[in-house]
Amino acid sequence: MHKQISKIVIVGGGSAGWITAGILAAKHNCKLSPSVQVSVIESADIATVGVGEGTWPSMRATLKDMGISETDFIKQCDVSFKQGSKFVNWQTGENDAYYHPFTPPVGLPEFNIAPYWLAVKDKVSFADAVCTQGILSEKYLAPKQISTPEYAFNLNYGYHLDASKFAEFLKQHCTENLGVEHIQGKVIKVNNDNEGYIHSLDLESQQAIYGDLFIDCTGFSSLLLGQHYQVPFESKKRILMNDSAVAIQVPYESDSSPIASCTISTAQKSGWTWDIGLPTRRGAGYVYSSTHCDDTEAQQTLFEYLQNTGVPANVLDKVTPRKISFTPGHRKEFWHKNAVAIGISAGFIEPLEASALVLIELSARLVSEQLPQNREHMAIVSNRFNDTFNYRWQRIVDFLKLHYVLSKRDDSEYWKAMSSADSTPDSLKELLELWKYQTPSKYDNQQAEELFPFASFQYVLYGMGYETQLSESDIKPHNVQESQRLFKENQQHLSRLNQALPSNRELLNKINQYGLSRI
Amino acid sequence: MTNTVLLNSIDHKDVRVVTSFGEQYGDNVWYTATFPLEFRSIQAHYPIFFQKDPNTGGFYPVAMTGFQESENLFLEGDKWNAGYVPLMIKRQPFFIGKQDKLEEGKTTEHRVIHIDLDSPRISDSNGQELFVEFGASSPFLTEMADMLETIHHGMETNQAFVQSLLKYDLIESFTLDIELNDGSQHNMIGFYTIQEDNLRTLDKDALAELHQAGFLESAYMMLASQSNLRNLIDLKNKRNGL
Repeated sequence: MHKQISKIVIVGGGSAGWITAGILAAKHNCKLSPSVQVSVIESADIATVGVGEGTWPSMRATLKDMGISETDFIKQCDVSFKQGSKFVNWQTGENDAYYHPFTPPVGLPEFNIAPYWLAVKDKVSFADAVCTQGILSEKYLAPKQISTPEYAFNLNYGYHLDASKFAEFLKQHCTENLGVEHIQGKVIKVNNDNEGYIHSLDLESQQAIYGDLFIDCTGFSSLLLGQHYQVPFESKKRILMNDSAVAIQVPYESDSSPIASCTISTAQKSGWTWDIGLPTRRGAGYVYSSTHCDDTEAQQTLFEYLQNTGVPANVLDKVTPRKISFTPGHRKEFWHKNAVAIGISAGFIEPLEASALVLIELSARLVSEQLPQNREHMAIVSNRFNDTFNYRWQRIVDFLKLHYVLSKRDDSEYWKAMSSADSTPDSLKELLELWKYQTPSKYDNQQAEELFPFASFQYVLYGMGYETQLSESDIKPHNVQESQRLFKENQQHLSRLNQALPSNRELLNKINQYGLSRI
Repeated sequence: MTNTVLLNSIDHKDVRVVTSFGEQYGDNVWYTATFPLEFRSIQAHYPIFFQKDPNTGGFYPVAMTGFQESENLFLEGDKWNAGYVPLMIKRQPFFIGKQDKLEEGKTTEHRVIHIDLDSPRISDSNGQELFVEFGASSPFLTEMADMLETIHHGMETNQAFVQSLLKYDLIESFTLDIELNDGSQHNMIGFYTIQEDNLRTLDKDALAELHQAGFLESAYMMLASQSNLRNLIDLKNKRNGL
């Protein structure tokens, strides 16, 4: 019988480290009960990557569970609301666009409306027929009103935020309110016990840090899983070729410039640009394949995009983009012995669907809720953790690849390579074959907590103009009636919200002035 | 539409204000804003709940006079059938305005009376006169000025009142379900009330703090005012001939 798992040591600050610390400490009530202790070792001279600026709606529950006031978070982390993604030029490259909103299609979970939209698909886009969020996002409207309580919504939303302010904000909350210990220092050596479990970490200051469970939030260096345990890395570059990014921050034209409701992803010659509107600035970048594009061309593409979206040339003369290189993929194991990788140390992929922060939340929640009592218990929990996250990564890769394989673009070598059959996983090919005959449905969800539920597949599939040919027997008259009622309901909902919702800028100004109420 | 201007004895010397009630004067409101200073009178006749200001999201207390938009169950023709009419109704068509005044090199803010000249209460032949000989205020206008002053202080207390209640988790949202004599069910959302359990279990420091500010009394008056819901339902049944 091994001793209790009670001391958890997180290596690395940044978003991953502090989100993990917050989730663990809040769940196990570290401030008041000494049974679980959480420490974060953070080195002042290791910079965080800090590009994760888009969250999923799951972040609302994550923050709420940590006991954070949404008003404080919004005020301190330069936060705006994210209601989904807008994909521009992905289909043909000729000014096409579609939305993948966070609000699921009307009728779900009881009624799958997609089969009934197919009959009217030439008249109205899928997203606009089944959801109001795309149209309202196009008008820069906010997902709620000033009288809507914290974390509640009229339209489902996540956040756009300043990643470095967010990490600082969480650090303060974790150390002041949640009883997390903050250790300044740099890990220089990892020590195993005789069973090969990590026993302690030596810091540069000669101090040794002991623990029962170690969480690796060290980013690209992957100190514990990668360097120490030499867990192999599984590259996905053959499928998703983007391995580089240039990122930049640009000011708005004025304090009253509208703030976009969605992340805008615009397909480019050898990748795509992201565009994220925070209250005080825009964050933009170009993710590309270094095989198909060099750094100079990448910067040029990014600058052209920014100029076309209103950034004056003299502003661009003063800024230098930051370059990030990565190998897309993930560790073969995320939890080895008593070390768990969370965040970039576990894997990294192009941020096309902003999967980075949500994976951190899900990983930390699973560790926290399934926290093993001892090593025997841990062996089982870690196996299950690895199965779960291997499956999740496979689904992420498939879902991201979906955006490319559906494209009709063939204007560059990059697009030809990205949409080619031999770069497409069999699992995705099979789904695409299936969806020739039926729409994505609840039968496509294999796990209870699917990262991308079938509704997301519907938005992308039909946003990109995929053809599903149902058989006549799939369409039931009483369901046609129900679908018409739902289409109408969506329209009514739209005109109500259009009247009631303030613009993003207006609401954020009001939150700064009055705050959101908890009830 | 409103056309609110600063009241003065020259431009408005012949203006009269109608003080009777009626739908035509916009009295068909289903709730009206109030404040702790007025609770003692209000709670004798109307249920008091909280609403949210759509402009700021902040809570403020309201006296209920109906169950739906444009329904004032106390209004019957030109009569208001209650022993007390809320000040926010009685002050019409006047508003409190603010004016900066430069005195000895310093700018200070003064409260002034504004009047809505588009209000249907404005008349040149009927109602109360505002000014008497030589531009002096009429007794009616003096009374109105006092009332506006009371409202102004009352509204200021609201903020402190709500802050104190929020601090101790004493506000909760609720849905009001009413059933009329014909068995029809109606529910109203968007109202908030005092969280009774938390109020009863306040520790002695919190109690002392609320008591000193006078808010403990106000909170209990709000609870007591809920018994007026029965009367409001009776009025509704009566109006529907039930």
